[in-house]
Amino acid sequence: MFKSTANRLEMPGKSKLGFFAKVKKYRTLLCMCLPSTLFFLFFSYLPLPGIWVAFVKYNYQKGIFGSKFVGLQNFEFMMQSGKLWTLTRNTILYNLAFIILGNLFAVFMAILLNEISSKLFKKVSQTMMFLPYFISHVLIGVLVFNFLNYDTGFVNTVLSNLGLERWQPYADPYCWPAILIFIYLWQQSGYNSVVYFAAIMGIDGEIIEASRVDGANAFQKIRYIILPSLRPTIVILLLFALGGIVKGNFGLFYNIVGTNSLLYETTDIIETFVYRASVTDFNFSTASAVGFYQSLIGFVIVMTVNFIVKKIEPDYSLF
Amino acid sequence: MKKRVLALLLAVTMVLGLASCGSAKTKKVDTSEHVKITYMFTGSKPEGAAMDRFQEMNKKLNEILTAKCNAELEFYWIGWTDYLSVYNMNIAAMDGTVDLIGTASDWLDAWPNAKNGGFLILTEDMLKTYAPKTWASVSADHWELCKYDGDIYLMPEDNYAQWTNHGFIYRFDWATKAGLTNGVHSWEDMTKYFEYVTANKKALGINVAWDSDGTQNTQMASGWVVSHSKFVPIDGICSSALWGGTKDNLYKIITPAYTDTQMMVEYAKMMKKWDEMGVWKTDVLNNTTSTNRDDYRVGLVAADQHHTQTWTDLCSKTPSNTIYNDPNAASGFFYFGEETGNVVALSITHGAMAVSAASKHPERALMVYDLLRNDPDCYRLINYGIEGISYSLDSAGYRVTPASYNPDTDNVGGATSWWWGRNDDLELKDATRNWTAIEAMYKEYDKIKIDYPYGQFVPNVDSIEGKIKNCNEVFGDYMKKISYGKYSGTAEQIVAEMQAALKQAGIEDVTAELQKQFDKLYKK
Repeated sequence: MFKSTANRLEMPGKSKLGFFAKVKKYRTLLCMCLPSTLFFLFFSYLPLPGIWVAFVKYNYQKGIFGSKFVGLQNFEFMMQSGKLWTLTRNTILYNLAFIILGNLFAVFMAILLNEISSKLFKKVSQTMMFLPYFISHVLIGVLVFNFLNYDTGFVNTVLSNLGLERWQPYADPYCWPAILIFIYLWQQSGYNSVVYFAAIMGIDGEIIEASRVDGANAFQKIRYIILPSLRPTIVILLLFALGGIVKGNFGLFYNIVGTNSLLYETTDIIETFVYRASVTDFNFSTASAVGFYQSLIGFVIVMTVNFIVKKIEPDYSLF
Repeated sequence: MKKRVLALLLAVTMVLGLASCGSAKTKKVDTSEHVKITYMFTGSKPEGAAMDRFQEMNKKLNEILTAKCNAELEFYWIGWTDYLSVYNMNIAAMDGTVDLIGTASDWLDAWPNAKNGGFLILTEDMLKTYAPKTWASVSADHWELCKYDGDIYLMPEDNYAQWTNHGFIYRFDWATKAGLTNGVHSWEDMTKYFEYVTANKKALGINVAWDSDGTQNTQMASGWVVSHSKFVPIDGICSSALWGGTKDNLYKIITPAYTDTQMMVEYAKMMKKWDEMGVWKTDVLNNTTSTNRDDYRVGLVAADQHHTQTWTDLCSKTPSNTIYNDPNAASGFFYFGEETGNVVALSITHGAMAVSAASKHPERALMVYDLLRNDPDCYRLINYGIEGISYSLDSAGYRVTPASYNPDTDNVGGATSWWWGRNDDLELKDATRNWTAIEAMYKEYDKIKIDYPYGQFVPNVDSIEGKIKNCNEVFGDYMKKISYGKYSGTAEQIVAEMQAALKQAGIEDVTAELQKQFDKLYKK
């Protein structure tokens, strides 16, 4: 949507105006994108040469480019761990679930919010949904432990008072994907739905008016007007999210699962493994090597998905 | 265009990287300029009234330091949360804000930081000129142990008697009731003790026998190994004591936790038994909010797993240890290795001081250290605080707390963490400590101990770093399950599984490489 507008603005300039004339003409637009440009320049592009640290034996005194070059040695420990596949699989599957379910849920909530007619109720429910977003992962970890622990946890106290058998989630790796996804949705959906809610607000009122005149009911309105209007937003947000699909949510996993090795099979992600393996020796080089590996996979995934999107619907692709 | 911009950016970054090189030159002792020396260390920063007390001490100390070497000391705390990463990150920053760095070769990364260029090389000339008393008090043998690649990096705390060998702290009075009239002296006794304690929780008024937070797993495993063999672990390779020699053959590297199947199976069985008895909470591996030590002081738990130094506190009738309001209460210590008499004295670099390679005033930093370590006035201030407020001396010369003493605010020595230059010549013995019990224990240790034999071994791990990390990680994973009895299947199965995983992680390659370096160092 944004892109096509920009194209239209640019088209006439391309043939007639020179570089500086264009700068002058679009100075307001340029000013508006200056902060984000600077942000990415300083925090994403300028540090790029620092990737080199992943290929050296880093020495504090000699600096990144003065340290000894060791080739791919810093990548070896990930390969040798024999866990690379499990870790990458866990990371990607969790993120897929977070992205897909998270977005679906957020769209669903935004539509529900939009349908609420009482203004007070709408504001109250939106705030309630938003609140979990502000609770830190550390606190959530404590809450979850107090809910689920075997000896004194809330759930088990209720179960045993009802005469039922106690449940021991901290020794059962298979219930954690569901628990973690539930926590993620509980925490993030309110926040994520804001973008979609804003997009719904931006839909031209006349279209909705017209549909009502044509006799569309609420479900038809959602099916034929709101959902199609949200499609570009959904696709763009999905594409953005996919770039980070190999980067795990360290705070969530580390604070809730901790270092309980009974659960690693289904809960260990790249970040938590690297943290455990590196916390004792503080090695910039291995950490950067892992980061580089994640970025590389993320890059390949974004390019592939973007390519596919471009084939199907060129307007929705990122570039 | 894009390419040119990128090339330019690259060039700029490279130039910036190169420009940050510089060198510290040694000068004659010139103290005309007043400088601030920052001392970085692990510890909890005092707050509120405790901070005020601390600052009173700091002011007094700075008056002396200004008079003697025209410098003042600033304290820089590294809090205990993720202390190792924060500590290492502050060293790596190299921005010249830190001068003196408290360090240790076993529990803080002294050698990795020296190797990575974080610490300044301390030449003999520098030490003789700026820290003459320290230079003279440390023997040549001990300076040898502070060298990496022929250069001195650390000033060791080598004149301070302390024992940091681990074991279980338990209630001696309860052990007697359990039928162990002579106290706990083996893992089997410990089992008997826990059996009694877990069966009588209500009568003893405890919540749980030992409210472990789930992190003592590799410590316990290593304790089991030294109790059942003559194994002498090598410090500083990784956090778990996987590699070491034996008392009979110090320079042949073995890995008993990996090779001695029978011993590890028995361990797994006993820990399963402990778990079933309910020694710890069911979800011990997620029990991060435990306050076991404080609970022990007030009698809410029956055991703690830590080292002798901690026991010397817990066995003494101090104001915080309210269990001793009951005259029958007493705390015993079962140290790992007691069954086989396998105790190794502390490495002298368990506490040591280093100077940051980025320090702008390394000479003055050394002068300040020399004073803090050897000057009685400075020493008492930094270790105990101001006399009359934080401590006073009784007629026998023991350190006591004044009547007005408030442990929450006046414990200045607790805030300075001066663990890198304590000196028995200047120590004031704490009158509240249970010296009869402590000295008896020290005497017992002195009879059986051997000196830490591998002080000079600083392995070059470049080629095996990944494998060490993976072995440590695998061992940690399995020890959480084994040490807390949280495995399914039989003990034999889980040990076999662990051995296979360690093999896969490359433990044998690491052993071979370490042996090669050992041979080079010790078989000259």
